[in-house]
Amino acid sequence: MKNDTLLSVKNLKTHFSVGNSVVKAVDGISFDLEPGKTFAIVGESGSGKSITALSIMGLLPNNLESVDRGKILFNNQDLLTLDEKEMRKIRGNSVSMIFQEPMTSLNPVYDLSFQISEAIMLHQNKNKQEARKIAIDMLDLVGIPEPQKRIDAFPHELSGGMRQRAMIAMALSCNPKILIADEPTTALDVTIQAQIIELMRDLQKKLGMAIIFITHDLGVVAEISDTVMVMYLGNTMEIANTNKIFSNPKHPYTKSLIEIAPQISEHKREIKVLKGEIPSPMNPPSGCVFRTRCPHASPDGKEAKIEMGLIEVEPGHWVDRCGVGCGN
Amino acid sequence: MGLVVATKMIEIRNLKKYFPLKGGFFNSKQADVKAVEKVNFDIPEGEILGLVGESGSGKTTLGRSIIRLIEPSEGEILYNNENILNFKEKDMRSLRKDFQIIFQDPYASLDPRKKIFDIIAQGLKIHTGLNKQEISNKVKSIIKEVGLQEEHLNRYPHEFSGGQRQRIGIARALVLEPKFIIADEPVSALDVTIQAQILKLILDLKEKYSLTILFISHDLSVINQIADRVMVMYLGHIVEVASTKQLFSNPKHPYTKSLIATAPQIFRKNENKIVLKGDIPSPINPPSGCVFRTRCPHASPDGKEAKIEMGLIEVEPGHWVDRCGANCS
Ligand SMILES: Nc1ncnc2c1ncn2[C@@H]1O[C@H](COP(=O)(O)OP(=O)(O)OP(=O)(O)O)[C@@H](O)[C@H]1O
Ligand SMILES: Nc1ncnc2c1ncn2[C@@H]1O[C@H](COP(=O)(O)OP(=O)(O)O)[C@@H](O)[C@H]1O
Ligand code: SF4
Ligand code: SF4
Ligand SMILES: [Mg+2]
Ligand SMILES: [Mg+2]
Repeated sequence: MKNDTLLSVKNLKTHFSVGNSVVKAVDGISFDLEPGKTFAIVGESGSGKSITALSIMGLLPNNLESVDRGKILFNNQDLLTLDEKEMRKIRGNSVSMIFQEPMTSLNPVYDLSFQISEAIMLHQNKNKQEARKIAIDMLDLVGIPEPQKRIDAFPHELSGGMRQRAMIAMALSCNPKILIADEPTTALDVTIQAQIIELMRDLQKKLGMAIIFITHDLGVVAEISDTVMVMYLGNTMEIANTNKIFSNPKHPYTKSLIEIAPQISEHKREIKVLKGEIPSPMNPPSGCVFRTRCPHASPDGKEAKIEMGLIEVEPGHWVDRCGVGCGN
Repeated sequence: MGLVVATKMIEIRNLKKYFPLKGGFFNSKQADVKAVEKVNFDIPEGEILGLVGESGSGKTTLGRSIIRLIEPSEGEILYNNENILNFKEKDMRSLRKDFQIIFQDPYASLDPRKKIFDIIAQGLKIHTGLNKQEISNKVKSIIKEVGLQEEHLNRYPHEFSGGQRQRIGIARALVLEPKFIIADEPVSALDVTIQAQILKLILDLKEKYSLTILFISHDLSVINQIADRVMVMYLGHIVEVASTKQLFSNPKHPYTKSLIATAPQIFRKNENKIVLKGDIPSPINPPSGCVFRTRCPHASPDGKEAKIEMGLIEVEPGHWVDRCGANCS
């Protein structure tokens, strides 16, 4: 852990028990978050991105399997050791989250004033009037026109983009050091997506918070992040500076993702594909989890016995051990 | 080689769709949702025509109107020189075999109570006089074409992943040997790796079966990969049509330009791109004149665009732009 690390995730495991089986949603990931920077997490559906976020927030369902879960270090404390009351304090003051589908996290029966003020009153010791004023300022900050009027709107009265702005306002109202954004633009149109990305960049410049930005879109990663982590089936495959990962990807999975991403710069190249689908986390492949789809897997199946784990190939560029020795 | 004039699969003339909004005391008509405004275009045989635009721009309504899943308000749809809007239900039924649709949501579009075999066979039972054995042979052969296996035919939709369900949707459409397919955001709900697999499948099958496809997507990168030609739609209007190459290398309309400039790209970091402001206006009350003027970065301060009449003009061979978009910016 470097001196300027804000949050350090070390060998995090989040396993769920389902019937007689274990779902290894997150299976030993590690990364560091620097203050004021944007850290992207990218990967296919089911790779464990959201569960990573919810693990940091301490908002997991209760079918947790007891394993050594690793550590999540923040402010010299391990968040995994805190109780619910202490975690609530962290969530109100230091770390907040916005979700992919704003309708699920904004309560449809309350207006914005109530929802945003409530959070402010709870965590900042303000009275109702002060809280409402801060809430209006927040709506203004996130670019909602006529905030004095919109503050009394209900979620369904807003467009998708406006709802996402309101979510951001709510998340930022506690002045967090870390903002976790789980696919905040996936459900939006390109133009609205561009507005939200621009907004988040501006807000980061103004307020200086670090952002963990979850997405499955490498184009968005390129636009917004400083560093990126590629996840697959609960594991980290690669972590690098964003420019690095595109100019010099090391892991076969990262390479495939970049190769197949549709681009508008080059017309009608042939469509490249990565075969197969992500396996079930109830029954992940032994050894290298990517081996069932990897174009470079060896025919003798030796990857079934490899032990996974990150190694640093150059400063700040981490690759899963198997990804380095193999597949050129 | 002489001049090759491609045969037209379908010709769209002044096609319009308004949805009446009812309400009030007598449940009388209050207003119209102006989803598609008098559009004109042709689709040559064997082409993949891309249709792109923001959510609510009218893509689905246009696509469904062409095969009369939605009844258009006005206009003509010419197929083999006949206006299919004049067809009675009986004639339409035989047409339905030629025209198929693949839907966006692979979860909602397959009947959960039916086995895959019956889902795929249903169209054959309705539209062909084939006997049981012949139907079974066709279903078994098409399921392999889309990358699944015979044993899958006995299962139910919930046993499949999103990508597999989309393959089933494609099999259901293709088994009827259609000529023309509307693919309405067929990969939008899928992961990138599965998206690439399905796009490749569609391209391969298109070649093999000589299909003509209207491919709807809100994702320009996907359109660029798959379409021969592209139409850009905004608030019920087609604002630009061109070959894919022309459109991406030389976009003319301010809306097209901004869509291209804002699409997130891996190898392009443009910090100072022009991001459109605001949301797409309501189609109940669209801006007068140029429909794009309320968001256009080049709209003139005197608001003269409120009086412009929209309409496509040809700026280079095969490249059509809305009149306003051609003169301005
Ligand atoms: N409470 C739970 N019990 C059992 N399994 C779960 C639970 N929550 C999540 N999982 C499983 O854990 C895996 C990782 O889930 P997660 O939601 O983190 O994926 P993701 O990367 O965010 O995917 P997406 O891109 O679809 O949002 C998935 O296979 C999911 O089904
Ligand atoms: N059955 C309907 N009744 C009223 N309005 C509709 C109906 N179907 C679509 N619309 C409206 O028509 C417009 C175009 O919709 P649609 O064709 O679905 O757009 P797209 O596919 O481009 O997202 C939207 O404003 C939509 O809300
Ligand atoms: S270890 Fe083998 S299967 Fe795994 S990523 Fe490397 S080449 Fe592929
Ligand atoms: S006519 Fe004016 S408002 Fe319309 S697209 Fe052209 S510049 Fe923009
Ligand atoms: Mg998720
Ligand atoms: Mg649609």
